[in-house]
Amino acid sequence: MTTGGPASGTSMTVGDPLPDVERTVTQADINRYAEASGDRNPVHLDPVAAAASVFGTRVAHGMMVAAMISQSLTEAFGAAWIDSGRLKIRFKAPVKPGETVVSSGKVTGLHRDGDGTRADCQVGVSTKEGEAVITGTASVWVED
Amino acid sequence: MDYSTLEPGQVVSRRTLTIDQQTVSSYVTAVADASRPWGEEAADKTVPPTAVATLGFRCIIEDLTIPEGTVHAGQELEFERPTRVGESLTYEATIEQNSVRRGSRFVTVGMAVQDSIGRKVMAGKSLLMVPAG
Repeated sequence: MTTGGPASGTSMTVGDPLPDVERTVTQADINRYAEASGDRNPVHLDPVAAAASVFGTRVAHGMMVAAMISQSLTEAFGAAWIDSGRLKIRFKAPVKPGETVVSSGKVTGLHRDGDGTRADCQVGVSTKEGEAVITGTASVWVED
Repeated sequence: MDYSTLEPGQVVSRRTLTIDQQTVSSYVTAVADASRPWGEEAADKTVPPTAVATLGFRCIIEDLTIPEGTVHAGQELEFERPTRVGESLTYEATIEQNSVRRGSRFVTVGMAVQDSIGRKVMAGKSLLMVPAG
């Protein structure tokens, strides 16, 4: 895959990495996302309620962390991701305030058809220590 | 809400929302998305596709009155066309599965989003693990 701009179908090869997106998640970030998304579940905001939850502490919204994957795919594929993207993910572990997580992925398959290519990708977010917090797959239809 | 009564095929939310710049700005700031300009800062005024999905998830949370302790276990998204700032989108959420396993209720909610002239914008599925009551 070329760097510095969205890929075309003919410029990709299987194994090409997706751009990494790294973020250290803070409670202030979580609070902002709660306001923006309307998801004010106490497990994200209330330290007392969160302490009694299955997580034992406040955690980031899954979709807030998943947005890092979309950011990576936007950098990799540009408008093709916005127009035709498919994403299937599982939330495997919570992200706690103060944790640094990285979205990464790679192209796992290229299926050429007519004047375009469907790029299949493995995507995910993990901690700096390597624990998976989101795993999944994505596909994008890219014109040649 | 009594989640045991939710049936596959049951529509649990239907709303029409206009995606304004304030919504886009708040979302982009919250997720720190610097992958490209979004909304009014972009020539094409495109809205982040995950912002469109997040608004749909908000409809589900509010209209299903999701209880404390619910865990968002999985998500599928399919984007069909970009959304521009100022567009009105109709969100419809439907129960796809509802079952109890190992003491937790698993509810899959499908989401279909159309623009003002009925074109498919996106579809999604949210897997929720709800404390079994």
